[in-house]
Amino acid sequence: MALRILQGLLPFLFILGLSPLLVGLINKQKALLTGRTGAPIWQPYYELIRLSRKETIYAKTASFVSRLAPVVVFSAVLIAGFMLPVGYTRPLLSFNGDIVVFAYLLGLARFFQIIGAMDIGSSFEGMGAAREATFAVFAEPIYFFTIGSLAFVSGYTSLYEIYLSIRLDNPSSLVFIIVSSISAFFLMVTECSRMPVDDPNTHLELTMIHEVMILDNSGVDLFLYQYSSYIKIMIYGIYEVLFFNPFGMQNQWLGFSLFIVLLLLLSTIVAWVETMIARLKMKNVPQYLLFATAIGILDLLIYTFVK
Amino acid sequence: MTPLAVQNHQPFSTGDIPILPVKEFEESLRGELLTQARMIGLFGLESKGQETTVIAVLARPLKSAIDLIGTKFSSAKNSYKTFADIFPQTHYFECELAENHQIIPEGHPWLRPVRKQTICGQELYSPYRMEGEEVHEVAVGPIHAGVIEPGHFRFQCHGELVYHLEIILGYQHRGIEKLLLKASPYQQNILCESIAGDTVIGHSMAYALAVEALSNTSVSLRTQVLRAISEELERIAMHISGLVGIANDIGYAIGSASYGRLRTLVINSTALLCGSRYGRGFIVPGGLQFDPTEQLINAMKENLQVVYDDVRAINEVMFGSSSVLGRLDHTGTVEKEWAQSVGMVGPAARACGLDTDTRSQFPYGAYKYTHLPLITLSSCDVFARARIRALEIEESFRFIFDQLENLPSSSIRNQLDSILSDSGVVSLTEGWRGEIAHCAFTDSNGAWKRYKIKDPSFNNWYGLGLALRSEAISDFPLCNKSFDLSYSGHDL
Repeated sequence: MALRILQGLLPFLFILGLSPLLVGLINKQKALLTGRTGAPIWQPYYELIRLSRKETIYAKTASFVSRLAPVVVFSAVLIAGFMLPVGYTRPLLSFNGDIVVFAYLLGLARFFQIIGAMDIGSSFEGMGAAREATFAVFAEPIYFFTIGSLAFVSGYTSLYEIYLSIRLDNPSSLVFIIVSSISAFFLMVTECSRMPVDDPNTHLELTMIHEVMILDNSGVDLFLYQYSSYIKIMIYGIYEVLFFNPFGMQNQWLGFSLFIVLLLLLSTIVAWVETMIARLKMKNVPQYLLFATAIGILDLLIYTFVK
Repeated sequence: MTPLAVQNHQPFSTGDIPILPVKEFEESLRGELLTQARMIGLFGLESKGQETTVIAVLARPLKSAIDLIGTKFSSAKNSYKTFADIFPQTHYFECELAENHQIIPEGHPWLRPVRKQTICGQELYSPYRMEGEEVHEVAVGPIHAGVIEPGHFRFQCHGELVYHLEIILGYQHRGIEKLLLKASPYQQNILCESIAGDTVIGHSMAYALAVEALSNTSVSLRTQVLRAISEELERIAMHISGLVGIANDIGYAIGSASYGRLRTLVINSTALLCGSRYGRGFIVPGGLQFDPTEQLINAMKENLQVVYDDVRAINEVMFGSSSVLGRLDHTGTVEKEWAQSVGMVGPAARACGLDTDTRSQFPYGAYKYTHLPLITLSSCDVFARARIRALEIEESFRFIFDQLENLPSSSIRNQLDSILSDSGVVSLTEGWRGEIAHCAFTDSNGAWKRYKIKDPSFNNWYGLGLALRSEAISDFPLCNKSFDLSYSGHDL
């Protein structure tokens, strides 16, 4: 009983507690790669604490949507996070068909973020919202083609069971792991507004996608937005890393350690990409995303051949 | 009547400038512009009662000559037929003249204020605006995110696509030209250093050369060489800083970190020369304030050698990275013909294949004796404007190392003679941003009557507007940085 409670608490604590740390790690490694000392890895926590203490100010033109949006975004992202297994444990929420719910919970979060941005009526935020909406159209197929083809292969429709079904003894799984993890990485950088799709460090409103949508938010609202963006990185990080889980599935503790190591490795890869690669031209982003979708389609092709 | 032709830094008597009736002035100026002359000034020289004397200054690069021609406007007849409808390069100069002296260019396609809010007594200026259901307007500034100068940008967009960008400046107008007339010689030097904080050497050099020309003072060879070295140091530092900005704007962290680190070493080398990292107080009329010792020169050489080696390595990495090239290529293109017709100058013009470089076309100081290769590129986009910086940095280093090897030894400061009365001089220098023009005129006592300054930004702001045509609005910051123009240099 006690173990089960612990197992239930683990994903909760992991996702809520450690997602800022993952961002801190990425930023720290990025700084180190460019020869700087960088902010401490705890910096995202300090940011969150600072924001939570600040006063929340609303624009004169803001309606109830602006007040509602941050809460909806945060809750939707958090619930989606609970559908993913952390390491080997069974997730808090797991049922047949949750791959669709997972996608559209994040879709709901995006929708509210977009209307929250449009609600203010600033031209900058309108531009950001338009970009977010456009790129979402190209990002969604990536998710469904990667996880969807795995669902086809395994016959399961729950994220946990799909991941469990990846077996090393099946040679086609190996191909799936490689191919899916590539498109999952593309999905991650798009959804989490990282390079080369969006630049989290820029101060230029005209080039931003995610950052420009939260320009007019402050205090607790900004806290919720920032926290949900940290959680999103954690979610997509887990989503990516779990493809490699079969290597550690045999042993729970080994599986969990491997899971952590892979997450750290992923943060290094993200930091490396952000240092070494320039951002894409905005008009080339759809091409970049379609490439990832094409990889996803490759998954389905592999499936038909294997079958 | 032929215009008065002088050379760069050659003093002339104000009376020698032909003052023609307006009609003939128009014809003569039109003839000049038709034969590839580039306007570098159109300004009122003096106002006596109802009459205003206006001087046009034109550069003739092929002959290394500068043509001057004048006319008189009275309050009864204060208009002329515009040139801007055929020669867009005069557009902004005509606006400036209209703003300052209420002299109206008839038929001007786009009469708009340069530094103020109204022009020629018209009502408050409102920017050009596109109408339509799906058109939207984005206004940026004058307060910006990040630490930059104030300027207002108005985009007329259709989705992400920019149809028109209007740039409204003037927030930094300090009245430098007027301040200069009242200031003491010491203050004048400081004022000229402050025209644009990033072109200290360029402007103070133009000022010093103008004063020296008008007082018939010659400076020693050592002075000339050290001045050229300091100017090239400024060019290197600011070009590196431009590359930092470009790398930063495209999110290329390794590039911005590496270039950023190196710029410090370069401006520290300038500090070795004169104690100021931006070169303040180094160049004064008559020579230099400080003479570097052998020890300082060696320290400088060591510094610069480090930067030279590293810069070449980073250039190779940055311009060899496919993701960087993919971002820069075909972004913010200004056709060569456009660049020429709006009269762009400096690296931005050279990136469009125009061979405008004051150092080789109107050589002055040490550039008379040592030739710096003129680099042009033909792709006219952000890539060309970034690449030309990288190439010019390397050339400037070679020049500096060459000059430091055999630095002539002589005194660094000569006494100024008294300044010629009723005379004028056109002083052109090549700042890192392009051609700087100081046109100085004295009255019968040898005091300034008119001191007209043109920063290269004055020519190039319009080019930035053109670069954004049919470009994505998200590319604006990158295009802006690739031009890297001065707000205060424009606003004066």
